[in-house]
Amino acid sequence: MSEEAQAAPEPLKGLKTWSHLAGNRRRPSEYEVVSTNLHYHMDNQDNPWELDPNIPMAKWYRKYRNESPLKCDDWDAFRDPDQIIYRTYNILQDGQENYVQGLFDQMNDRGYDQMLQPEWMPVLAKLYTPGRYLFHALQLGSAYIHQMAPASTITNCATYQTADSLRWMTHTAYRTKELSNGFSGEGFGENERNIWENDPAWQGFRELAEKALIAWDWAESFVAINLVLKPAVEECLLVQLGDAGRHNGDTLLGLLNQAQMRDAERHRRWSTALVKMALETEGNKAVLQALLDKWVPLGDAAINAYCSAIPDSPDAAADAKEAVSNFRQSLGLN
Amino acid sequence: MAKLKREEWYDLTRATNWTPKYVTEEELFPEEMSGSRGIPAEVWETYDEPYKVVYSEYVETQREKDAGAYSVKAALERSQYVENADPGWVSTMVAHYGAIPLAEYAASTAEARMARFAKAPGNRNMAVFGMMDENRHGQIQLYFPHAYTKLSRQWDWASKAYHTNEWAAIAARSFFDDAMMTRDSVAVSIMLTFAFETGFTNMQFLGLAADAAQAGDHTFASLISSIQTDESRHAQQGGPSLKILIANGKKEEAQTMVDAAIWRAWKLFSALTGPAMDYYTPMEHRSQSFKEFMEEWIIAQFERQLIDLGLDKPWYWDILIRDLDITHHGMHMGIWYWRPTVWWNPAAGFGPKEREWLEEKYPGWNETFGECADVIVDNLLNGRPELTGPETLPTVCNMCQLPIVGVPGSKWDVKDYQLEYEGRLYHFGSEVDKWCFEIDPERYKGHLNFIDRFLAGHVQPPDLMGGLQYMGLAPGEMGDDAHGYEWVKAYSQPKTDAA
Ligand SMILES: [Fe+2]
Ligand SMILES: [Fe+2]
Repeated sequence: MSEEAQAAPEPLKGLKTWSHLAGNRRRPSEYEVVSTNLHYHMDNQDNPWELDPNIPMAKWYRKYRNESPLKCDDWDAFRDPDQIIYRTYNILQDGQENYVQGLFDQMNDRGYDQMLQPEWMPVLAKLYTPGRYLFHALQLGSAYIHQMAPASTITNCATYQTADSLRWMTHTAYRTKELSNGFSGEGFGENERNIWENDPAWQGFRELAEKALIAWDWAESFVAINLVLKPAVEECLLVQLGDAGRHNGDTLLGLLNQAQMRDAERHRRWSTALVKMALETEGNKAVLQALLDKWVPLGDAAINAYCSAIPDSPDAAADAKEAVSNFRQSLGLN
Repeated sequence: MAKLKREEWYDLTRATNWTPKYVTEEELFPEEMSGSRGIPAEVWETYDEPYKVVYSEYVETQREKDAGAYSVKAALERSQYVENADPGWVSTMVAHYGAIPLAEYAASTAEARMARFAKAPGNRNMAVFGMMDENRHGQIQLYFPHAYTKLSRQWDWASKAYHTNEWAAIAARSFFDDAMMTRDSVAVSIMLTFAFETGFTNMQFLGLAADAAQAGDHTFASLISSIQTDESRHAQQGGPSLKILIANGKKEEAQTMVDAAIWRAWKLFSALTGPAMDYYTPMEHRSQSFKEFMEEWIIAQFERQLIDLGLDKPWYWDILIRDLDITHHGMHMGIWYWRPTVWWNPAAGFGPKEREWLEEKYPGWNETFGECADVIVDNLLNGRPELTGPETLPTVCNMCQLPIVGVPGSKWDVKDYQLEYEGRLYHFGSEVDKWCFEIDPERYKGHLNFIDRFLAGHVQPPDLMGGLQYMGLAPGEMGDDAHGYEWVKAYSQPKTDAA
């Protein structure tokens, strides 16, 4: 309309995709179209928000995200190896939930809980149902990684991980109620908080979880939760306890934990990809290793305390520690 | 299908607070993030979310919703609706997609703030679903417009707008950063979910959906009404927080948060949604006027919810009701006049027939805003289009980041409300914008609005071209009249009895 516009260079034409993806050689996938480059608050590193630069939340994001010791020129280059988007997440997890809910119902129809061995009930009361609190801690920690991650593609992985953690917590709550309906004397649905807060089996995990939840630097939070706490929880509460369940006639626990482990494996895939990308930047290996040196002893202590309480499983702690260590070694870290 | 009914075991999913031992409770839930306001955790545990849902129900319902919205899109792709739609409607969509998806995606993080830091376990769980919902809203509203990027570079702004210093993008960030990104979790539940989502998402998602259905844009209509079903669920997180605050002697603080959020939302909507509904959307497809939508969803429905909860009408309610006849018209005139500075093509929307509609919906429009339209029409008819474009800078409000507007013409009442604070002079578009600043000057005092930046030399060269560059707008992106000034022809014909 104006003279300026007429004198201006050739008008920009439409593109096949977003301008920020147009330089890529490959046609973008649906995943890339909807997941990349969404954190506008990463643009101005000095002031993330359109407000006074010194409000508390600006300081928080500068200190714990922008000035994190873990560096990368282009966090937005991160890609989830599973390329999960919201639409596919619900398809995937609705299918998974159909499976788990089907298991619950089939077992319920057969009077499953009544057939469990009486000696196994105190083990469930002590080592299974209080896990609700620990799974909830994973939910909290994952939600923190979501809000502090420096790229939307990382945030998304943490988003679905948060929902998965809620999923595990919800399964535990459901089973707790079923068990409390069948066995009134074991304290199901009543004693979990007390056990979580006081039983020695849980105190290692409680210490690790509480401390990991206040590791505010986003990279430290990622290391403490995704490389130490979560793998330890998964190896102990899902793998080792599930295994003990199978040996004690609790097939359902084994199957349920196996189903949840599929989520955990997905979380480890994105964690692996993120570490791999981070390691391409010089200096990051030392940063990550130092963080692991700080957190792994708490992880190992948590594993020892929990696994030593699993009956008839003398190798549980060693197996769990070997598994978490193998995972970290697969990342090129110890 | 589960054997146990949800209500039998639901409470166990929110029995998740414990007393920390290895860190303190204040460390685990820092006040600046949690915002418990001295109310103990046991009280927050009484938070009772009115809408209850568990994980398995969530993924099933949401899978079905997405299947619906995506299949409507797929089925209608061949019809080439957008390619053939009225350019005014296309502008509504382009403006919407630039303003909404990245804010929705950011809202996911505000939800994550509650999911991590709320002391109320029920709030933490519901916020996980809210976080997932907003992840959906960001993604689906990027996926749909992406199909049109080849039509014009303006569609690129669905992904680009929030990354720029375009003035409307600054205004949108200013509101969303203030109301949802930089607040503690209790404030998020009140300012984002209660104040903004309960009231204003209805405007954007149901109001526009009604217009879209009338315009035959069934893809857009089904998309945004599907989004609203999520909003109406997760918007319910604020109510229980308000109840707890009110019961614990914090009514005044709660009221202030609600009042500030509603006013700031209103101002943003007056610039983005008002013009789209009353000027861009072709007249025959307008289901109601912007004012009628505001009266229905904000003035009537939302006011009732405030009263039901034990809050009062905001102190400025009469000002708001008066401004329903003014602000968005002023914004529209400004945006059309400054059209190269937006990423969409504003439709003028004041041809002879449209003016009849405007006069009917807003009696007195012809005497006020109509006078601006008359000048524009005269200049266009007399071959002086350069007089219908920007030359000077408007005054911009230091709160809402929008031009200061008011009634033009013979009833001129445009006023700059000023405040000097710590030696700096601030300008506000209204008494209420100024009040928002005065509640908490520390939140805003160091921020520069577009004009401040211009005066501080951030815009180089300091002229229109420099300004457009600063805003990230190149030819092909910057707006122009949606209908290529075709509508002016109706004025050169023998006069109808319009104005
Ligand atoms: Fe949303
Ligand atoms: Fe929302």
